Amino acid sequence: MVPSLARRARVRWDAARDCHVLLYPEGVLVLTPEAAEVIERVDGVRTLEAIVDALADEHPEAPREVIDRDVRELIERLAARGFVRSEAP
Amino acid sequence: MTAAPPMALLAELTYRCPLRCGYCSNPTDWRGYARELDAQNWRRVVREAAHLGVLHLHLSGGEPLLRDDLEDIAREGRDAGLYVNVITSGFGATRARIEGLAEAGVDHVQVSLQDVDGERGDRVAGVRAHDHKLAVARMVRDAGMELSINVVLHRGNLARTGEVIALAASLGAQRLELANTQYHGSALVNRAALMPARAQLDEALAVARAAQRDLAGRMDVIYVVPDWFADAPRPCMDGWGRRFMTVIPDGTALPCPGAHGLPGFAFDNVQARSLDDIWHRGADFERFRGTAWMPEPCASCDRREVDYGGCRCQAFALTGDAAATDPACAKSPYHTLIRDEREGPRDEPAVLHRIDTSRGRR
Ligand SMILES: C[S@@+](CC[C@H](N)C(=O)[O-])C[C@H]1O[C@@H](n2cnc3c(N)ncnc32)[C@H](O)[C@@H]1O
Ligand code: SF4
Ligand code: SF4
Repeated sequence: MVPSLARRARVRWDAARDCHVLLYPEGVLVLTPEAAEVIERVDGVRTLEAIVDALADEHPEAPREVIDRDVRELIERLAARGFVRSEAP
Repeated sequence: MTAAPPMALLAELTYRCPLRCGYCSNPTDWRGYARELDAQNWRRVVREAAHLGVLHLHLSGGEPLLRDDLEDIAREGRDAGLYVNVITSGFGATRARIEGLAEAGVDHVQVSLQDVDGERGDRVAGVRAHDHKLAVARMVRDAGMELSINVVLHRGNLARTGEVIALAASLGAQRLELANTQYHGSALVNRAALMPARAQLDEALAVARAAQRDLAGRMDVIYVVPDWFADAPRPCMDGWGRRFMTVIPDGTALPCPGAHGLPGFAFDNVQARSLDDIWHRGADFERFRGTAWMPEPCASCDRREVDYGGCRCQAFALTGDAAATDPACAKSPYHTLIRDEREGPRDEPAVLHRIDTSRGRR
């Protein structure tokens, strides 16, 4: 599965609040640093597995299953709100 | 304590408008401050807003399409990283214009409709516009921008809430605002003609709730509860000077778009002070910020950080005191004003008085 950011959503760094935010019509979602790390890799090219691999490499302290579960959960939540689309590769 | 930065800037580029909606919330005495900031000033305001921490730019009016520099101002916002929203009646737009907005970086266009068909809609708008508006809404989608539809609900169209929802969905809108009339500007003048019966509202609410479930994931349906019928005030602007800043056509900076009607205020102008300075140090932004200014019954109420005491403009319009508890609240000593009107007799047939917004000066 290859997730990509929907057109309605835009992710950027918010210097005034010191966090990443996801902007969409009439709304703002404040991203935790962990969520931002995932979303930065959602580019419509990488598969979900590749994203998990990359994060697991960068965080050897965290078990891969935990990262895998967290990433899937986040992507699902964002997809339910129409911010992320997933396509079969 | 310094205030958190605003999330959104509402830039009302002009009060001029080719429509004359009987429910329009804009000030009825708009001609008194109709001189408009030029593009250079607006672009500076937009940059200052982004620097201050604003994330959403709403370009509205009046009719923002009447400004031929709308695209330049939008582009400035997009370049500064803002999410750019255009709030429009759609009237007068061509396909080239809509494509130009997309190209300038506009993310989202909200088109307002008056009703579900031309005959009824045009009667409320005061001009023939409905069919053209539908075409414009489709152009917004064709151009790849996000589309919201906004419909102001009142006694004359509440019965068609279901049809409104179906129409918005058929236009490809991702978001529908069912906005029960707020009684400001022309709407306050016309309230006898606009005010619904409670049964109409209950029915519309049920229809909206069902659509929210059925359309989840396809179209967000937002139903704005009418404060006059809720016995509880709206958290107007999410609190004075808390999340929103408005700049009206002449450059006056306001905590909410209706606030210039309040007496005893000397709101700052963006031509004299920076947005940052006005937001953080402007006396009028400080005035009703937080809860310290509140009188009773708000001061000791456990909802004071939920609704912030309601709307200052409504408090002034109905009680003569901008610092009073919003009469929409059942605890307000003036609540009977609202109760009497909402339960009182209705004009039949409904007559709408119109404010002519079509002529003005730059
Ligand atoms: C004042 S209009 C300006 C933009 C444009 N002329 C339009 O009508 O879309 C901004 C928004 O407020 C809505 N609106 C106008 N009067 C209102 C009222 N009395 N109560 C609630 N919403 C209102 C309009 O439908 C529109 O979506
Ligand atoms: S008259 Fe209608 S179209 Fe014009 S600004 Fe008011 S609500 Fe918008
Ligand atoms: S008393 Fe004031 S704070 Fe309490 S609900 Fe009413 S308006 Fe809100």
